[in-house]
Amino acid sequence: MSTIESGSAPAQVGSKGWASPVRRVLLSEYFVLYLTIVYFLILLPFLPTLSNPQNLSNVLSNMWPLLAVAVGQTLVLTIAGIDLSQGSVIGLTSVVGAALIATAASSDVLSNSVLWGLVITEQGGLFAGKSWAVPAGIVAMLLVGALIGLINGIAVALLRMPPFMVTLVGLIAFGAFAIFLTQSENIRNLPDAYIALGKGDIVSVYLGEQSTPQIPRRQIYSFITYPMIISITLAVFAHFLLSRTMFGRHVYAVGANRRAAEISGVPAKRIIIQVFVFSAVCATIGGILFSARLEAGRPTLGEGTFLLDVIGATVIGGTSLFGGKGKIVWTFFGVLFFVLLSNTLNLMNLSSFHIDMVKGSVILAAALLDVTRRRLLAGGLA
Amino acid sequence: MRVVHLGAVAMASALFVGVSGSSAQAQTICFAFQDLETEFWVAGHKAITTTLEEKGVRVIERNGNEDANRQLEQVRDCIAQGVDGVIIIPQDGESAVTIVKESQENDVPIAVFNRPPSDLSRGLVVVADNETIAQQAVEFMAQKAIARFEVTGEKATPLIMVGDLGDPNAVGRRDGFFNVMEKYPQYFNDPIEVSTEWDAATALANLEAAVTANPDVDFLFTSSDFLFPTIRSVLEPRGKWLPAGQEGHVIMGGLDGDATACQLIKDGFVTATGVQDLFFEAEAAMDAILTAIDAGETQPNQVIEDPGFALTAANLDVREMDMWGCVLLAEGFLDQ
Repeated sequence: MSTIESGSAPAQVGSKGWASPVRRVLLSEYFVLYLTIVYFLILLPFLPTLSNPQNLSNVLSNMWPLLAVAVGQTLVLTIAGIDLSQGSVIGLTSVVGAALIATAASSDVLSNSVLWGLVITEQGGLFAGKSWAVPAGIVAMLLVGALIGLINGIAVALLRMPPFMVTLVGLIAFGAFAIFLTQSENIRNLPDAYIALGKGDIVSVYLGEQSTPQIPRRQIYSFITYPMIISITLAVFAHFLLSRTMFGRHVYAVGANRRAAEISGVPAKRIIIQVFVFSAVCATIGGILFSARLEAGRPTLGEGTFLLDVIGATVIGGTSLFGGKGKIVWTFFGVLFFVLLSNTLNLMNLSSFHIDMVKGSVILAAALLDVTRRRLLAGGLA
Repeated sequence: MRVVHLGAVAMASALFVGVSGSSAQAQTICFAFQDLETEFWVAGHKAITTTLEEKGVRVIERNGNEDANRQLEQVRDCIAQGVDGVIIIPQDGESAVTIVKESQENDVPIAVFNRPPSDLSRGLVVVADNETIAQQAVEFMAQKAIARFEVTGEKATPLIMVGDLGDPNAVGRRDGFFNVMEKYPQYFNDPIEVSTEWDAATALANLEAAVTANPDVDFLFTSSDFLFPTIRSVLEPRGKWLPAGQEGHVIMGGLDGDATACQLIKDGFVTATGVQDLFFEAEAAMDAILTAIDAGETQPNQVIEDPGFALTAANLDVREMDMWGCVLLAEGFLDQ
């Protein structure tokens, strides 16, 4: 039976007396954090804007929605799966939520939508004007997301279909369904309470003396925001699930070797279904944050290179594509590094094509590193 | 929201920020565009960047690659870099509203080039009068159809290739088309609408289906000239890609005024195209943003309209060089 590697690699390495500092760093579970710090410090003299408080605020702001989605992907990768449908979940749930809670809509734009007249009219969505509109809309979004996750999970666990194929079909089919619902139109006029979830500040910071009656907005930096609270809460919850519960142990067991886990009495099918549901719920939460910051339900949200960002950040963090190994804290570091990477590439004024090429190369390097670490571990433990 | 004043850390922060602070330098403009997929955007991009650089303005370019969220993040990054102003070609009208608000809240003036926000009340918005321009082009096409009706006695079967209706430009162009159709119901069958979403592959698939289902289409208006090659690939195998004067000619028109449309009008395949004055729009966007920066205005709001015109087979001789696409054509754009 395979060893279940739940992030205890450094201790195993140390016990074997690997002296090489490079190896120690390479195998450290904080490797990506070290990498992020070194990367930041190396670039700082060349890109002074990097440490600008507004830029740091931007980096954090860009991090939270991605982290929410990547947390779900972490669990799926840990069971040796992959969830490509997260992008379509984001698009579809953002449309469903917006159609329910929008406070107004234009017939010019949405009259061709199948939702027009049924769910949304010129007076807004079904829940428009109700005090409970936003929470009810979010519940509806989460239910839709969970349903997609359930479908994925059943197909993978019960029908034993490959996760790649199941979720690829989900990506295409649910993405097309989102576009069909609104005929590719965006739904605007979301309530302020919803928009605050994506861009609302709880505590902002002003650095300096107040010399004018009103501080320019440009000099007030977001510090603690709603998306930060939401994503960190989700990440802490997922960390607790993975590291402190029987469910988490089962996730690692299924990822390391599904057949062995089943023989050992692990309810692998149930675990797989639950993980896919959790992944879709995380994608929905990411969708809430993205649609709120863009102030519109958009069927095309999550398209393009978005999955590259999600899977890339998760793999860079150290979660193994082979399953059985993954930690939320790694994903946190991976997302931080990935967002910082994107930010610095922007500050270098590279074109979007170059940025995507660099990102792809970094993900490839991370995957190579994953293979190398596995080999080192296997060699060290042999 | 609670704002915490951190005066004590101000000096440390200032040291840390160091050289990123602004000094007496040339103005810096962030030019964030959604993509450069069509001739119009390529030419617009070139006109803006070239002219700004000629004026000694430093241009930071950002390509959103058709991702509204990425474009928002790019504009935020630009603002963090301390740019003096922003010019955007947004992904759509909705994301434009969000980005304009973001920029203005950070006291950075912003101009929106050609693709207007859904809410025109904020930002410097340079936009063509799409409805009127489309109406002019379709009116000329309609007169050709009416002349044909008087010979054959058969109503024309019109088809419109509609853009992404989240883009107010697409809505205006569609409205201009239907204004003409409603004016002459006795000469036209019910129009067929083909969705393109401003995407050539989507347009190809939907036009194939529409023409297969309605082989008698003989009047076609595309909401953007960039789709003419796509239209050709659908009509040519069906023997319907013919110049004016030949049996089976489809009366065609478009909007944008690109080099391909100019060539097709000359060759007789296209009857008319609505022209956006690209050079005027680029100049107007740049002048407006630079004026606002010089005046210290951080939240200027103004709608600058490009009246445009229709280039037709009838006025080609006199107005050819008023159309930016014909200028590019004369410079050998299609030969590159």
